[in-house]
Amino acid sequence: MSLRNDTKPWLSGGFGLVILASIPAVLFVGALIFFTVWVVTFSFTDLSLVGAKSVNWSWIGFDNYERLFTRRGFMESLWVTVSFTFFSAIVGQSLLGFLLASVMRALRGPLRGFIEVAIMLGWLLPDIVAAFLWSATTAENGLINSVVLGPLGFDSVNFLNEFAFPVVVVANVWKGTAWSYLLFSAALDSVPRDVIEAAQVDGATWWQRTRRVTLPMIKSHIGTNTLFITIWTFTYFPLVYAMTGGGPGRQTKVLSIFMYEQSFKIGKLGYGSAISVAMLLVVGLLAVFYVRLLKEPE
Amino acid sequence: MKISMSLFGTAAAMALLAGQAQADVSIMYADWLADLVEPGIEAYEQATGETVDAIKLPGEGYVERVALDLASGTAADVIQMDSFVVSELASAGYTMNLNDALAGWDQYPSYMSGLTEVVSYDGGVYALPTDTDVRMLWYSVPVMEKAGIALPWEPKSWDDILDAARQIQEKTGIEDAFLLPVGTKRGEATTMQGFYMALLGADVPEAGRNRLRDWDAGKWVGDSPAIRRTLELYKTIYIDEKLGTQATNYATDVDSTIRQGLREGTMGIVASGSWENSCIWDCSGGSELSQSERDGMVNWSEWPGSGLEGTMETTNISGGWAIGLNENASDKDAAFGLLTTIFDQGNFEDWTVTNGRMAVRTDISGGDAYQSDPFLARATPLAANTTGRDTFPGYQIVSALVQQMTADILEGLSVDEAVEEYHAALVDEFGEDNVITYE
Repeated sequence: MSLRNDTKPWLSGGFGLVILASIPAVLFVGALIFFTVWVVTFSFTDLSLVGAKSVNWSWIGFDNYERLFTRRGFMESLWVTVSFTFFSAIVGQSLLGFLLASVMRALRGPLRGFIEVAIMLGWLLPDIVAAFLWSATTAENGLINSVVLGPLGFDSVNFLNEFAFPVVVVANVWKGTAWSYLLFSAALDSVPRDVIEAAQVDGATWWQRTRRVTLPMIKSHIGTNTLFITIWTFTYFPLVYAMTGGGPGRQTKVLSIFMYEQSFKIGKLGYGSAISVAMLLVVGLLAVFYVRLLKEPE
Repeated sequence: MKISMSLFGTAAAMALLAGQAQADVSIMYADWLADLVEPGIEAYEQATGETVDAIKLPGEGYVERVALDLASGTAADVIQMDSFVVSELASAGYTMNLNDALAGWDQYPSYMSGLTEVVSYDGGVYALPTDTDVRMLWYSVPVMEKAGIALPWEPKSWDDILDAARQIQEKTGIEDAFLLPVGTKRGEATTMQGFYMALLGADVPEAGRNRLRDWDAGKWVGDSPAIRRTLELYKTIYIDEKLGTQATNYATDVDSTIRQGLREGTMGIVASGSWENSCIWDCSGGSELSQSERDGMVNWSEWPGSGLEGTMETTNISGGWAIGLNENASDKDAAFGLLTTIFDQGNFEDWTVTNGRMAVRTDISGGDAYQSDPFLARATPLAANTTGRDTFPGYQIVSALVQQMTADILEGLSVDEAVEEYHAALVDEFGEDNVITYE
C-alpha cells in the first residue's frame, strides 16, 4: 500500500471542514473585491473626509477623472512616478542586483558574507529609519559634506535642496537592491555550469557568455523581477514621504503622495479614489505588458 | 481533545484581550499635549475608579488621523483636535454639541467668549479650547549680532525683513536667513505661520481684501492683490534671491530641524508662533534655561505689515487646539467627566504657565503665576490685535489649496499661473457663485 493511500489529510475529514477552512480565503478575496468596488464607486462622487460632503455626497459623473487631466497635479506626479520607477527600480535595483549577483558568484568566504549582510541591511531597515539615515547623510552638515566634500576643499552642498529627485532615487536603489540580488542569485545558480563552460571553451568572452547564454536562460526571472519591483515602486510611499514629503515643490511628489494629500490632507476622498483607480489601471497595463513579454513564443 | 484545548486557549486569549481593551472611556491626543491630558486621566481614574484607554499619537499627521478615525467610526470618546477642524467635524455630525453639558459645569463661565466662538458651529459649542497663540518672527540673537543688525530687531515692513535676511546671508553665509513656512509638507503651518501672516498685511483690512474669505459676501477669495503680493514675497525668498532653502520645509523632521537651527545659530529668522518659547528648548516646558537666558540666544519681534499705504502696522492670527467629544461616545457622561477633569483649574493652570501657553480662561490669565511670567506678559498684548482663521466649513480644503499654491511657486510657476490654479481649484470645490475675485 502506498504512503499516499495511508495518509488521510485532516482536511478531507468532511465537506463541513472544507467550508470552514475556506472561510479565511473567501473573506480575504471578498475584502479585496469590496475595497476595489468601493474605490471605483466613490471615484464618481464628491465624497469628502470631513464636512457636509462626508455625509451628503453627490454623484458627479466623470468630473474627477476629467480633473486628472485638466488640473495640475496628476500628470506631473505620473511623470515623477514613471521616472522614479524607471531609474530607481528598473535601472538601479535590477541592474545593480544582477551585477552584484554575477560578481558574488565568484566570491567565497567571509567577504561574501559581509557584503551580503550589508546588502540585506538596507532591505531590512524600516523605511522611516532609512529616511532619517539618508537625510542625515545628504544634509548640509551631513556625512557626505563633512567626510568627503569638506576635507577635499569643496563647498558644502545641500543635496536634498539641490538634487532632491536623484537623492530619493539613490536611496531607493540602496533600499531595494537586495530583492533583485537574491532573485538573480537564485536564477544564476539555476544556469547549468557545463553550458557556461562549453561557451567558454568555444572562446566566448564574459560579455558574450552573459548576453547570449546567461541572460536568455534567466529571461523569466528578469521578467518576474521587473514585474514585482515595478508594482512595488510605482505605489511606494514611506521612504519618499519621510525624506522629502514630495517636495521641494513637486520634484519628488510620486502618485502615492499626491493621492495621500488629495484624500487625507485636502480631504477629497472622491478625487483621491479616482487617482487610485488611475494608478491601478497604469500598474495593471504594465503588468499585462510584462506578462506578455514573458510568454515564450509558440 | 487537542482541538478543544486549543479552542479553550484561543477563547481565553480573546477574553484577556477584550478585558484589556474594554476601558470605560477612551481618549486620543497628540504626544505634545501629554502634560495636560495625562494628569487629568490619572485624577479621573482615582476619583471614579473607572479606567481610561489613553491613545497617545505622534503630532505629525494627527489632524488627518482624527478625521479618518471619526469618518470610519473608530475614534475615541474624547478627542483632541486642532481648532480649525472643529466646525468641519461638527458639520459632519461627528462631534457632540456640548451646550447642555457645559451649562452645568461651574468653571465654564471662565472661558473667554471670543475663544469659545472659534470652537462653535451653528450656535453650539463643540469643544473646549486648550490654549490660544500669537505669531511672530523668531531670530537667532548671535546670528543677528554677527550680521551687524541692531538689537532688539524691530522690522517695520517686509522690506526690513528682506534686508535683514540679505545682510545675514552676506555676513554669515547662512542659507536659511529667513524661513517662511512654505509647501504642502508643513501643512497648516504654511497657511497660518506663513501665508496668512503675510496676507493680513498685504492689503488694507477691508472685507476680504486681506483674507482668504470675504465674510460679508459669504465667499472664498479666489484672487486678490493681497494673494498676489504674498506669493511675490514667497517668490523673492525662495526663487529670486534664495534667502531660505526649500528643502528645510520638506526635511524629514521639519520642526526639530528648525528649532535646532535657531538654538545653534545656523538659521537667521523663522516665522512661527508663541509656543516656540518652550518648544525651541523643550516642548514639555522642561527647559532649565531662564527666560533671560533664552532671550539672549533666541528672541522675537512682531510681524510687520507689508509697509504699503493703509495696511496694518503689525499682523497677527491666532489658532489653538481644543478637546471635544465623539457624538458616538458609548458613555457620554463619563466622557464629559474626563473632559472637565482635564480642564480642572489646578491642572489646566499648571500646564498653561509651565508651557508658556496663552490662557483661554480668565481665572487662569488673572492668576499670579500667569501674570508674573515674563514671556506671557510680553506676548499676551499681541492678542489684542489678532484675528482668527476663516473657520467656515470648507476651510480645511482652502488651507490645503493655499499650501499647494505656495508649492507651485517653488516649482517655478509664475504668480499668475499659481493664482489661476488656486482659483480653478476653489471653483471646482465650492462652485463659481461661492468664489470672489478682488481687482
